[in-house]
Amino acid sequence: MKSIITTEALTKRYHQKAVVNQLDLSVPSGSIYGFLGPNGAGKSTTIKLLLGLIKPTTGSIRLLENEVTEKNRLTILSNTGSLIESPAYYGHLSGEENLRIICTLKNVPETEISRVLKIVRMEGQKDKKVRQYSLGMKQRLGLAAALLGNPRLLLLDEPTNGLDPAGIQEMRDLICSLPAQYGITVLISSHLLSEIDQMATHVGIIDRGHLLFQDSLSCLHEHSKSQLLLHTDDDTKAAQVLKAHRIPAERRKNGLCLCHSEDALVIEAVSTLVRSGIGILRLNEQQMSLEDIFLRLTGRQVSL
Amino acid sequence: MNPSLFRQLQAEYQKGRRRHLLLLPLGFLSFQILWAAWQLQNASESELRTGYLLLFHHLPMMNAILLPMMSAVIASRLCDMEIKGDTLKLLYTMQRQGRFYDCKYLTGLQYLAAFTLGQGALILLAGKLWHFTEPLRGIMLLEYLAVTFSVSAALLAIQQMLSLFSSNQILPLTAGLIGCFLGLFSMFFPKPIARLFLWGYYAAFPVASMDWERSTRIASYYEVPFPWTGFLVFLAAVVLIYLLCRTITIRKEV
Repeated sequence: MKSIITTEALTKRYHQKAVVNQLDLSVPSGSIYGFLGPNGAGKSTTIKLLLGLIKPTTGSIRLLENEVTEKNRLTILSNTGSLIESPAYYGHLSGEENLRIICTLKNVPETEISRVLKIVRMEGQKDKKVRQYSLGMKQRLGLAAALLGNPRLLLLDEPTNGLDPAGIQEMRDLICSLPAQYGITVLISSHLLSEIDQMATHVGIIDRGHLLFQDSLSCLHEHSKSQLLLHTDDDTKAAQVLKAHRIPAERRKNGLCLCHSEDALVIEAVSTLVRSGIGILRLNEQQMSLEDIFLRLTGRQVSL
Repeated sequence: MNPSLFRQLQAEYQKGRRRHLLLLPLGFLSFQILWAAWQLQNASESELRTGYLLLFHHLPMMNAILLPMMSAVIASRLCDMEIKGDTLKLLYTMQRQGRFYDCKYLTGLQYLAAFTLGQGALILLAGKLWHFTEPLRGIMLLEYLAVTFSVSAALLAIQQMLSLFSSNQILPLTAGLIGCFLGLFSMFFPKPIARLFLWGYYAAFPVASMDWERSTRIASYYEVPFPWTGFLVFLAAVVLIYLLCRTITIRKEV
């Protein structure tokens, strides 16, 4: 699948501290790419770099098959829409008047306004002043603004932040419908794993500026295949025996984890331990949650 | 695609809806009309004979008191909608930061131009209403208006920069207020020191001056040659101030 966003060794440093470090992003065309990471991981900075709002310290960016330079940045961005952090709006103007300003700047006919308002289901509130909108409505207006001009790519930075559950569900449905209905590739950042799990087809996991994982969501789920937890009467000795027999296992707080769960390996591990005089107490199958995977990738406990 | 300058100015016009920005120059102008009426009402016959010179001498002081504040309020009204609505990071994906600054500034200049032209009309109207007998030299009026406009334009550039940098508009408005006091007091400072305060430049390029006869308590007004060289240097400084404020603003990351 062709990549609609590619970055090579993208780095942004502030006072020698790398906020984004050697990032090699690859977002497949037509995907919903979940850009996942805890708060302060570098997600917003990456999106701002992609949009040219901040300049990279080193590295390159390709958007829509073009290398982004200061000269062609706006031309490339005319085919993208964005919603960064909080929604941008003019509170003293109505929703429709806000969109009219974007139409003027994007050189898009004003007839587009009714189309995007319909997509975000806001036809009924278009004449209301935006300062009277709820946060959810402002976010949907922001999404409508991003959709003006039929962009090929949408960059959404935590678009469900601050929304109530109904608002989150509505936004999620909207975003999920975009690639199939309008052929738009979506990059959506979030610190909520469950949210990405429900929307994305591809995932990139970033922490402390480093990209830790990047692949399809199904591939990430493969990492969550079951693992076997072995409880013995002497876990320390059992670990030594398995290591001596070159059977991969990890010592955990609550037992031993067999790194592979193929039948032959399980049989070999159990029989080896029994032969060595170690008593097997329990053999549990454990499903690895996405949180566990994230923990394994980042090596630290974070709120997701 | 980078939108044309016309489209970007049109967007600024669309943003200004319901902001009633034209009321600002009109309000400040109304205040000056009242002040001019009071001043001319109390003027003697001899003073009215040189009524235009009287206005050209006194109005710069009024400008120094009022226009720094007006420039601050115009810049603040134009910029706070961007700050409050957190729109810059959206706008900068559609227009260049420098061009955004230019368009905002040009929009603000329109209101300064409206005020300056209104002041020109006020001077002409005063001449008619109070029957000034001295002939008005058009070039003198133009020189006076050029000074008023260019000093305000420099102040607007500074105020716009401050307004775009401040999440709370109290700071740039306070700067404008302090500028009013500095402008006024600088007129009483020795010339070399007064030249350090931009806010006082409304009186730095006079077209008229006054002789005050202490014994007779009579003021007489007379024309002074316009300091073109100094004014042209000042115009160059205005351009530099603008470019400096623009550069500082566009270097700010959003």
